[in-house]
Amino acid sequence: MKLSLLFFAVGMLLVLLQTTFLHLLPLGPVVPDLILVLCVYWGLYYPNVAAVLGSFALGYSVDVVSSPILGLNAFAMSLVFLIVYLSSRSIWLHNPLISAIVVFLASLVKGAALVLVWAVFLSMEGLWTGAARYIIMEALVAAFLAPFVFGLLRRGQSYLEQIRVTTE
Amino acid sequence: MLAFLRKNQVLLSSGFCLLLSLYILTAAARGHLKQDPVGPILLWLMRPLQIAAQAATGWIKEIDQRYATVAGFRTENDRLRKRIQELEVERNKLLEAQATNQHLQQLLEFRSHLPSGSITASIIGNSASSWFQSCLLDKGSADGIRKGMAVVTPLGVVGQVVSTTSRSAKVLLITDANSGVDVLVQRTRARGIVSGSLENVTIMKYVKRSEDIQEGDRLITSGLDGVFPKGLMVGTAVKVRKQSLGLFQYVEVMPAVSSAQIEEVLVVGGEPSQAKN
Repeated sequence: MKLSLLFFAVGMLLVLLQTTFLHLLPLGPVVPDLILVLCVYWGLYYPNVAAVLGSFALGYSVDVVSSPILGLNAFAMSLVFLIVYLSSRSIWLHNPLISAIVVFLASLVKGAALVLVWAVFLSMEGLWTGAARYIIMEALVAAFLAPFVFGLLRRGQSYLEQIRVTTE
Repeated sequence: MLAFLRKNQVLLSSGFCLLLSLYILTAAARGHLKQDPVGPILLWLMRPLQIAAQAATGWIKEIDQRYATVAGFRTENDRLRKRIQELEVERNKLLEAQATNQHLQQLLEFRSHLPSGSITASIIGNSASSWFQSCLLDKGSADGIRKGMAVVTPLGVVGQVVSTTSRSAKVLLITDANSGVDVLVQRTRARGIVSGSLENVTIMKYVKRSEDIQEGDRLITSGLDGVFPKGLMVGTAVKVRKQSLGLFQYVEVMPAVSSAQIEEVLVVGGEPSQAKN
């Protein structure tokens, strides 16, 4: 329970960071998608119902603060979680490079989901050329940041688990 | 049955969340989702944090600028550097106060030319996604801001309010791929629609091949979209190309207002009418 609350607080902090501080980075229009990295982490290391709801809630939060239509990111993040969860059974992940690759692929999945939903519910004009650039850039930035974020989350998780074991 | 549910709870809940998000999407796209029950609470919770974070962001920017200023004096001796630093800090404060004063005066003057009921607001957050160009304002429906109102500055058009809560409002910028502003070329009165695109360029669409438009032409709002008052600056044509095929010209636009550089905006209320500037 404590761990779920910690993760949710981290998620909300990441939404806050993405709407403020991360815009200071010299990355042009690309905002590092740390929420995606968190959803991938959940799918790999913390796959339970709370994490499913967390992924949906964080995607929904992104929709509330930035998307012109509700549900876009909620769908994309839920899909990313599901795919990472399903593939996590066959991935043995203890290497920072592999975590970066998984996040890169997950970011591509998220991009594809957004393009798909965008094409159905919003305008199609210039979608493919523009989207391809965003997808690749976002995926590269997220993959670069993934090992650091994973490291921090793993430390937080093992710290809380240690406390739980000691109190028990 | 219970064992099956327990064994597949992650899969089942994921499926449920996917279906729920698709339902929300469909309802929102069809306009059936009149009232978002969770969004306003979330924004209400995040508003003070965002205001604080935005203040801290400004502080970081100031530190960054101050560092850049100080870096130029590295070769000078310590005493002079200290003195210069002190003067620089003081000067920055004065300049900032002067700039704020000037900016607010401009806003006030500009406000008097707009329809009555214009509301001054501050930007407290930017888009959390690379896919959308939007920002959050610190005022909402409790302050009189409604969906569909125009957001402007004395420099030109910023965007349009797409949703509100009681204490905040979400603005879709004109550089977003889903926005559209009806514009006129100031010199020739040729009409078109200015919109953003995912290619990170702003373009003027539907300009007939026969229309006379040149690089450097100023684009102003036509007032015909019923959102923006007529005569506000939208941008400047920076690239004009007549393709070999097609009915329309390709016109690339440099927006008059860069959202990254603005802090205060005016939300235009009342019936749109001609701006007097």
